[in-house]
Amino acid sequence: MFVVGGELFGIELTGIKEILSPPPITPVPRSSREVLGVCSVRGLLVTVLCLRRKLRLAETSGGRRSRILLTTSQSGETVGLLVDEVRQVVRLQASEIEAAASTLGSDASEHVVGVARPPGSFVVLLDLRSILPS
Amino acid sequence: MADITDKAREEFFSEAQEIIETLSRNLLALDAAQKSGKEDPSLINEAFRAVHTLKGLAGLFGAIRLGAFSHRLEDLLDDLRLGRMDLRPEVLDVLFSTVDAYGRILTIEKEGRDEDLPSVDDLFRRLDRLGAAVERGASPVGDYELDPGMLAVLTEYEEHRLRSNIEQNLKLYRLRVQFDLSTIDKALDDMKERAKRHGEIITYLPTGEATGVDAIELDLLLASRDDLATLIGSLGADNIVIEEIPRRLRSVSPSVPPLRGSVAGGMTLPKQEHLDRMADAPGDAAPSLRSLTQTVRVDIRKLDHLMNIVGELSIVRSSLSRIAERLRGEGSRQLATELMRLHRNFDRRLGEMQDGILEVRMVPLGQVFDRLARVVRQISRDLGKEIRLVITGAETEIDKLIVEELSDPLMHMIRNAIDHGIESAERRAEVGKPLAGTIALNAFQKGNHVMIEVEDDGRGIDERALIEKAVESGKIARDEASELVRDEILALIFVPGLSTREQVDDLSGRGVGMDIVKTNISKLGGVIDVHSETGIGTKMAITLPITLAIVSALLVRVHDQVFAIPLSSVSEALSFDAGQVRRVENREVVTVRGSSLPICDLGRLLGLPEPLEDRRRRFIVVAALGNRRLGLVVDHLYGQEDIVIKPLGSSLSRVRGFAGATELGDQRVGLVLDSGAVIEEVLSGGEGPRERPSLMHG
Repeated sequence: MFVVGGELFGIELTGIKEILSPPPITPVPRSSREVLGVCSVRGLLVTVLCLRRKLRLAETSGGRRSRILLTTSQSGETVGLLVDEVRQVVRLQASEIEAAASTLGSDASEHVVGVARPPGSFVVLLDLRSILPS
Repeated sequence: MADITDKAREEFFSEAQEIIETLSRNLLALDAAQKSGKEDPSLINEAFRAVHTLKGLAGLFGAIRLGAFSHRLEDLLDDLRLGRMDLRPEVLDVLFSTVDAYGRILTIEKEGRDEDLPSVDDLFRRLDRLGAAVERGASPVGDYELDPGMLAVLTEYEEHRLRSNIEQNLKLYRLRVQFDLSTIDKALDDMKERAKRHGEIITYLPTGEATGVDAIELDLLLASRDDLATLIGSLGADNIVIEEIPRRLRSVSPSVPPLRGSVAGGMTLPKQEHLDRMADAPGDAAPSLRSLTQTVRVDIRKLDHLMNIVGELSIVRSSLSRIAERLRGEGSRQLATELMRLHRNFDRRLGEMQDGILEVRMVPLGQVFDRLARVVRQISRDLGKEIRLVITGAETEIDKLIVEELSDPLMHMIRNAIDHGIESAERRAEVGKPLAGTIALNAFQKGNHVMIEVEDDGRGIDERALIEKAVESGKIARDEASELVRDEILALIFVPGLSTREQVDDLSGRGVGMDIVKTNISKLGGVIDVHSETGIGTKMAITLPITLAIVSALLVRVHDQVFAIPLSSVSEALSFDAGQVRRVENREVVTVRGSSLPICDLGRLLGLPEPLEDRRRRFIVVAALGNRRLGLVVDHLYGQEDIVIKPLGSSLSRVRGFAGATELGDQRVGLVLDSGAVIEEVLSGGEGPRERPSLMHG
């Protein structure tokens, strides 16, 4: 579970290799808006995407709590997703996940696989594969 | 377990590939020998052995198709080498097709697919149509006073060569040579090499006679046209006895001195030596077992990995030097000096290691040239044009990865040269050129670059037709066309969709145009230039970096971002004076030593946010590739550094202008400028970079 643009999202944990504090990120001129740039993680070149821009959410400042979720795209590229804050890992039963509500209505809906309501919260579950560049 | 089998399989395929390349080289040499009227039977024998080895390998790895094909081809080559079939041009054609067929079979076997290969089946039929072998008449070998002991151990091939030489009325000689055991390998090779100038070595055998503890005596059977005196004059030495083997007279004449060996009742070979010889290849020039064991095949990715480690070590090195500086500042002078000394030592060793790894990655361009020679032969036959291919600089070395990526572009350029460049024989006769067209393939090293030129002596590029085509297809406006200078006109051949030929044919018009060639070359960090003279010929020159793995780069700051510009493309750096900038034809230029240099504000080109501070002092980095120069305006020069370029991720592959990224030492990453692409973009844009905001990609 993590926070982006003031909302709570979740991604299945098996797709996430590592969670990092953001190293210095070098912007890549001429790349698309959602690409923050590239950084090096122990010698490996990582393309960093801004999840907030990807989901077209309101601009918020990341601050000290922002983290990078490290994952691998289908083409084998190591991609980092910048989020505002990482909260915790929750275990969800399949039965706890509801089909994506079309009422969400935002641009993010194409990446949503469902919603869940763990005690006291409301989490939008994202489809990692559709977020990553193919 | 699976890993081991995979690895073995991979080795199998790369070894098979190598053998097929050897085969291809042998065939080319055979073709050349045939054309010049010479005969080198050892070439057929080597081809035979290559296929034989391949068959064995295929059997080991259960590559059924490869095995069956090799088996059939081996039979043919066996017939050829044993003289049961003549090497007619159509046989040679079939042999050449087998190289491509092998390529197809390998691809399929490698991917484990099971699909029909009609072209290979067809080749089988062509092999069958070549006809059956002919049996030769009675052997004339018996007419010579040859040692029966030697005759008994001749292989079928050796016997055939012996017979064939006798039929050509050559004289037979026996060279009895003593070799020092410790140097025999080299001495024997030398001996063979020298003897080969006079004729053919049929076989060589140890005589088995004790000549000393550390010596061994060999008999070489040589067939030669030269007389005994010539041979003694040329080969004679203390350790050699040369005798002519006389023709046996019908009535045995007592005046003929008997051979020494036969007096002793035939050569008695020590068993072990005999076995060794049989295990070794028959005939000459066989690659020795030893050379095989001294080479290792390495996956290029492993070298990349090593190179990465070197890259990280150089970051460690920079940190070391910083610490030493700090120590000096804090008063620990002695420690600082010691650390500096260590640092210098480390630096030197690291440099050596880097050079060593780079050297391993280097392969001679001959690898790709050999393949091209085959293509030339094929195309010239298909088009009925006689082509002379002249290759120079095949030994020029370049990064293995570059070589792999070069074969397609070069192949296409050569296709173009033969198809569009070289005129028909009739036309050439009319203008008084030699009937055979010449394609020259030249390679040479020039500083940190390798130049490859493809030159033909054909009709040259028809500039008017090219302009006409460009205007017709709407690539340029007519009034624009009249203003083009020569180089700009020639550059039109790289515009997608323009081909000077009226008819698109299946040879050059296969969808890949010169634009693709250009794209592929620039992906390797290279540029391509074209020169052409009407009626005289066309020359395409490719300039490539020697290696992709590690490059020296100039680190610069543009606004507040650090970029690396590969030094190989930098010719100089100048200080920039905004007052000197003039606008010429919509382009910003400055005058440097009397000639004008187009410039480009890198920050503006890349669309970087404008910096807040006022920049007083700025610099121009002059990037030059081929004959094009461009001044890049930057804010600060940091200096030179060796960098390991890492490619940007696939999601950024559409972003133009960068060759990759590199680590800068302080945990940050710097982008590496692709000078070729930037020069291309600015200079071929026709308008200044300021007016081109549409460059944004992604």
